[in-house]
Amino acid sequence: MIIKRLLAVLPVVFGVLLLTFLLVHLVPGDPVEVMLGESAPMADRAQLRAELGLDQPLLTQFAHYLQALSHGDLGRSIHSHQSITEMLLTRLPATVELALLALLIAISLGLPLGILAALKHQRWPDQAATLLSLTLAAMPSFWLGPLLMLLLAVWLGWLPVSGMNEPASIILPALTLGFGLAAILMRMTRASMLEILSEDFVRTARAKGISERQVVLRHALRAALLPLVTVLGLQLGSLLAGAVITETIFGWEGVGRLLVESIEKRDYPVTQACVLVIALVYVLVNLATDLLYARLDPRVRFAS
Amino acid sequence: MFRFSLGKQGRQFHDGRYLTAEDVAATYQSLQELPDSPHSAEFANISKIEVRDENTLDFFLRDADSNFPSRLIVGILPAELIAKGHDFSREPVGSGSFKFVSWQRALKLQRVADKQDVVFEEIRDPTVRVLKLVRGETDILQGELPPELVSYLQKQPGLTVEQSQGSNFAYLGLNMQDPLLQKPEVRQALAYAIDRRAIIQHALVGGSRLAETILPPEHWAGNANLQPHEYDPAKARQLLTQAGIKLPLKLVYKSSTTVQWVRLATMMQAQMREAGVELEIRSLDWGTFFEDIKRGNFQLYGMMWVGIKTPEIYHLAFHSTSVPPKGANRGHYADRSTDDMIAVSDWQRVAARIHEQLPYLPLWYEGQFVAMRKELMGYTLRADGSWDGLEQVKRKRLKSVFPGRSSVEGS
Repeated sequence: MIIKRLLAVLPVVFGVLLLTFLLVHLVPGDPVEVMLGESAPMADRAQLRAELGLDQPLLTQFAHYLQALSHGDLGRSIHSHQSITEMLLTRLPATVELALLALLIAISLGLPLGILAALKHQRWPDQAATLLSLTLAAMPSFWLGPLLMLLLAVWLGWLPVSGMNEPASIILPALTLGFGLAAILMRMTRASMLEILSEDFVRTARAKGISERQVVLRHALRAALLPLVTVLGLQLGSLLAGAVITETIFGWEGVGRLLVESIEKRDYPVTQACVLVIALVYVLVNLATDLLYARLDPRVRFAS
Repeated sequence: MFRFSLGKQGRQFHDGRYLTAEDVAATYQSLQELPDSPHSAEFANISKIEVRDENTLDFFLRDADSNFPSRLIVGILPAELIAKGHDFSREPVGSGSFKFVSWQRALKLQRVADKQDVVFEEIRDPTVRVLKLVRGETDILQGELPPELVSYLQKQPGLTVEQSQGSNFAYLGLNMQDPLLQKPEVRQALAYAIDRRAIIQHALVGGSRLAETILPPEHWAGNANLQPHEYDPAKARQLLTQAGIKLPLKLVYKSSTTVQWVRLATMMQAQMREAGVELEIRSLDWGTFFEDIKRGNFQLYGMMWVGIKTPEIYHLAFHSTSVPPKGANRGHYADRSTDDMIAVSDWQRVAARIHEQLPYLPLWYEGQFVAMRKELMGYTLRADGSWDGLEQVKRKRLKSVFPGRSSVEGS
């Protein structure tokens, strides 16, 4: 069954490859001019273009690209001549670390507050949690990031402003990403818990005299977590795909920043490789989420 | 032919080799011969280089060029490494004041004289650049900041902020092939429709000043007699009406996404509205923007000439044969008088002619500023915004706020 799902990923990845290839080649901008400067002689440009294979028809270039890809060769950067696989292997761990810490922050904050809001429905903790979640959801990362820098790094001096020079450098970008995700989780947990708490089985559990703590944690929360798994899967996919803005603001050398740099330099192979990796990560994380969902809820079976 | 004799100073490469005339010749020959050299066009005029002895060499030119020596500003590389095909992009070897150490996340150089490390860190967001300096994570910050952030830096107790006049020229480029902008009255109207003094006062860093042409008046080829087009929306409207334009005149302005340029475009848009010009701003990512400019796919665009040292810039930017890809005459300006004046290097008259014809709307020379930690001394600000001041910068012998840090970092 898993193999069937994995095969279904192939057309998606092919579509992504084709679209990315066309987009990066059709937007204005020429890597040869970026490298040689605009006053370089035509002969030199033509020579470099030929060396890079950019003088071939688009279809031929795409066929060559697919052929190399089928051998696991992502190619080399037009600018640095570095192996793109090496570049990605250097950048991916940073993105994964950041994504996982952001997810941890989001779960630690979003889940308890969402449960609290549902249990204290329409009372002040609910209103406070709602206000907090709406505030966090409304703050874009390019604003929240510098705000956290000012507060935690400059005024309080607890953390470094940006970069990757110290272990603590990860905290601010992770908080910036995690707060946004926590807001979504908080809202989802609250809504899900409210729905579950009014279900018959919860009433039955209470009628049986089980303590409220047991009712919430063992019965209601377990059922309420199911829809959250989907949200978490989607969000983790986005985080692993590289938080482009956050990584750029905080100078975090992850895949998102590599993507931005490659687009600016019109480094086609690197842009294509980044988008491919992002698409693969996204699709695979969502596949994993689906499988986990089936595991958690016996009613869901892919065979049907 | 030009004969050069090498002096006694700066003759040591960073890998210990002695720099000779052979190295100079090999460097300039490689610039001409390498297929991916961005300088090949610049040195295409060299027909032959002859080494006479260890300290002397001759450059033979195809066409006479009195400014040739001023072009020879390229760093010299060891001939032996050039011959071996050494990858200088990964392991640079030079003979300057700073030697390359590494370039992983940041560029690390070392000052040869005293082994002082200097680290350049790329920080894209201006607010983050400022916060890193305030927090003490970097030591020096120079250029590319909106004025309100400069004012913020001036209020910080641990920092010194210096400002000075600059020579980098900001301008609006006009497309001379556009039927509307071909009319001289329209170009003049646009010049009268921008309140440059107000922008300089409110939106630029201190030291910024009005510009009338690419080279500043203090340059040997500058022209100090050019009269500015003062803001006069009524006159602009009158000129547009004279040209038979039905108001409002709608024009598209292309800009990069740089925050400061978009902000300046918004200010000009508001000022031009008074003059009956509706400016539509389109900000594009750098690659797309620059490609559009080179292809002539624009009506107006905003840019800056940086680090211009010689009047040959007028040939590159305004000669009728310098249309991209051969040069940077992106607006397709073609004027026989200008070409003739350029041919005889009459730069004062070239500047006057350009000022009269207005293929560019001159804006300002951007002021320079540097903000640095108070622990530093000896850094001097250069008019072209270069980092040459790092050759002298020193850390005062104070009790360090961040003990253990030995590097001078710039961003």
